[in-house]
Amino acid sequence: MTVPDRHPDVPVTRPDAQVHFGVFFQGVNHTTIWSDPESGSQTDFATFERVIRTAERGLFDAFFLGEGLRLRESRGALHDLDVVGRPDAITQLAALAAITTHIGLVATQNTTYNDPADLARRLQSLDVLSGGRAAWNVVTTDNAWTGANFRRGGYLDHALRYDRAQGQLDVARQIWDAFPDAGGSDAFSGTVAHVSEHSAMFDVELDPTTPRSPQGHPIIFQAGDSPQGRDFAAANADVIFSRHGAVLADALEFAADVRRRTVAAGRPEDDVKIFPGTGIIVGDTPADAEERARWVRWNQVSPATALSIVGNIWGEDLSGYDPDGPLPAHDPVVEELGGERGSATTGARTREVAARWRALAEAEHLSIRELVVRDSGERGFQGMPASVAEDLIRWVRTGAVDGFNISPWIVPSGLDDIVDRVVPELQERGAYPTSYTGTTLREHLGLRAPLTRRAAATAVGAA
Amino acid sequence: MGLDADGAGAHPAAAAVARLAGADLVSGTRLARTVRQAEHAGLTFVSFTDALLPAVAGSPASARLESVTRAAFVSRTTTAIGLVPQVPTTYPEPFHVAAQLASLDIAASGRAGWLAAVTRDAATADAYGRTVVGDVSREARDVVQVVRDLWDSWEDDAVIRDVPTGRYIDRDRVHHVDFVGETFSVKGPLITPRPPQGQLVVLASDGDVRPALGRPGAPEAGGAERLVDVTLVGGSGVGTARGNATAAREHSPLAGVDLEVVLDAGGRTGADRLAVLDASTPAGVRSPWDTRALRYVGDAAGLVALLTELATPGPDGRRPVDGVRLLPAVLDVDLPVLARDVLPALRAARLVAAPRAGATLRESLGLPRPANRYETRVLADAPSA
Repeated sequence: MTVPDRHPDVPVTRPDAQVHFGVFFQGVNHTTIWSDPESGSQTDFATFERVIRTAERGLFDAFFLGEGLRLRESRGALHDLDVVGRPDAITQLAALAAITTHIGLVATQNTTYNDPADLARRLQSLDVLSGGRAAWNVVTTDNAWTGANFRRGGYLDHALRYDRAQGQLDVARQIWDAFPDAGGSDAFSGTVAHVSEHSAMFDVELDPTTPRSPQGHPIIFQAGDSPQGRDFAAANADVIFSRHGAVLADALEFAADVRRRTVAAGRPEDDVKIFPGTGIIVGDTPADAEERARWVRWNQVSPATALSIVGNIWGEDLSGYDPDGPLPAHDPVVEELGGERGSATTGARTREVAARWRALAEAEHLSIRELVVRDSGERGFQGMPASVAEDLIRWVRTGAVDGFNISPWIVPSGLDDIVDRVVPELQERGAYPTSYTGTTLREHLGLRAPLTRRAAATAVGAA
Repeated sequence: MGLDADGAGAHPAAAAVARLAGADLVSGTRLARTVRQAEHAGLTFVSFTDALLPAVAGSPASARLESVTRAAFVSRTTTAIGLVPQVPTTYPEPFHVAAQLASLDIAASGRAGWLAAVTRDAATADAYGRTVVGDVSREARDVVQVVRDLWDSWEDDAVIRDVPTGRYIDRDRVHHVDFVGETFSVKGPLITPRPPQGQLVVLASDGDVRPALGRPGAPEAGGAERLVDVTLVGGSGVGTARGNATAAREHSPLAGVDLEVVLDAGGRTGADRLAVLDASTPAGVRSPWDTRALRYVGDAAGLVALLTELATPGPDGRRPVDGVRLLPAVLDVDLPVLARDVLPALRAARLVAAPRAGATLRESLGLPRPANRYETRVLADAPSA
């Protein structure tokens, strides 16, 4: 984890901008330190409840759940080193909706292995039950390996995965728009529109049953970083959950690119909010923060995890290697990684990764474990609460981001320091709300009306 | 004793008569209030009837939210009552259904069930963009089977958190299910660990989910694996309902009767209320209220007598039926009468008992917690093929 550069030369373009926070409850990952005695169950509802209550106490905009539709495997065996096993996101968020009042509820849901009739209805059900706090993080899959758990099975051509995502979202919006607006004097007035979609990927004829929530539609999040993913976000998303949360210059470049694409898609440039995933570690002194960060880094990469990560690139079982020794002397045996190892590395060119690692290891005299720690570290903010607050404010006020999606390195206590120590520093600097001002996620994020409802909203406003 | 807590009530005109539509009908506030009332009344479980398509196309009064989401929403606002969403077996993805229901059981601390239902109408196939499933029973059997397999795909103690070896799970206790059915296959394992009850309580209407033939490795080797824990039967009268329940017990441990009720309430007789409801039934309704369920229309005392008759053991010591699921015509009208005049009388006669806070639905129904079909120790002891 590197300390983000302060970049005093980057101009502040939004002096009044506020920092926003979401929390990403990862579920399946090797960055949550399950081996620590303070780490709670990753299955018990109480763990999720504690995290979301802390986040709501800290006035976070959203609580975010990931998704995965097949357990990870390496060379035919289930991957056994990381936190694994997660609840269905919409089901879990519905349970959490009843015990919270303001925080947004973001469900990652795959467009490839869902039917729009089901998925749109479940998302809208969550939105109605939560009083307008639901969001959909749109993700795509294309591999047959995940498909082996589903009726349609099979493989979706990589180039078509966003076509299917777009079709899925188009049908969902028709379903969400089908009910007449609430609020008339006669609750029975109006007619629910019939949904009919016949395209290359969907044949849907449907009378919807789900009325509109106070925020109109579930909010759309999108996390893909490819050019196609960025275009999809620019055309459709309310929030982009980016990977660019470690280096300010990189985040600024990403923001400029997303805004260019958003304008090209015919939308105002601030229509897509940017929330990078990040981690935050605070200490009582700079040295204390550095020591904590070091402890976190080393505990995130156990000896077995280091060998597994390198073994995935090499395509072979390296568990007999010494994690404190050098990288294998020979080259990787596979060319490209498939989906079974997790979406973060899908499609990686193994020889390129291996060559980069080898160069880094030789230059800095790193063992396997040191290399993995070094290579997987650049992802967050660390320091004393005041300096972290100032860094976060700079990121938001230079226009690099609109907020941060925080992944705690331990659950359920991992947000405590941030809520108890960083949030007050932000508030003192006038850069963080002191209470929720609205009740819907759309209000928290300061978003305009849903894309398909702007004309109607404008007409009402003009009348 | 269960209760269906769907929308405004079980009668298709309930929403119209109660003047509830759209957002009011489906609000979380109303849902939580209704289920809390049912819990306070001492009912064993609530079911949430569901269908993808509305009762009347185009009518805002046919608003309805998805059932697992509804059940999950009330899972943390209640502590004792069972939560049983109706989820169809015909078109939804079995893998998603298994994960959703397991997650509900985790959120509800073991109080979840599944009313596995078939979908016979072609319009639902059109909504999914699929061809119509001809043999809905065969499909139901495959789907219930694979969902049960997936719930067992993690053994109870699969999460080991073994710091010395760095292993979070024991991969020998997490299993591919490798299910191959007539129309689909599922590799597994589930993304969600085994639910607290091991297996959720599976309910089904009589005839919807037929028993499976013997499967290799099934707990009852050589015989049929039990797919359904509770069969819900109907009947034109008490006698036929009892007969149906007796027959259903051949293939499910428990059999309950679906009982529609329209009670005397608010100075009006049940018969008057039913006449108004029937006259208010909207044109084009998908499923009019002339179901195969047993029906009671009248005062609370009569209902107590009927339920007493169904609950009193016969000469063989066994009750004629194991339970009743009440289908109140209009929830806001019939549930208060049930809570005030019917359930207390049954409790006083010790014919029903309120579920204990913290008990699982299996415990409330007297069902054992099943062993895991993939349990390593069992497989190790099994004779080799």
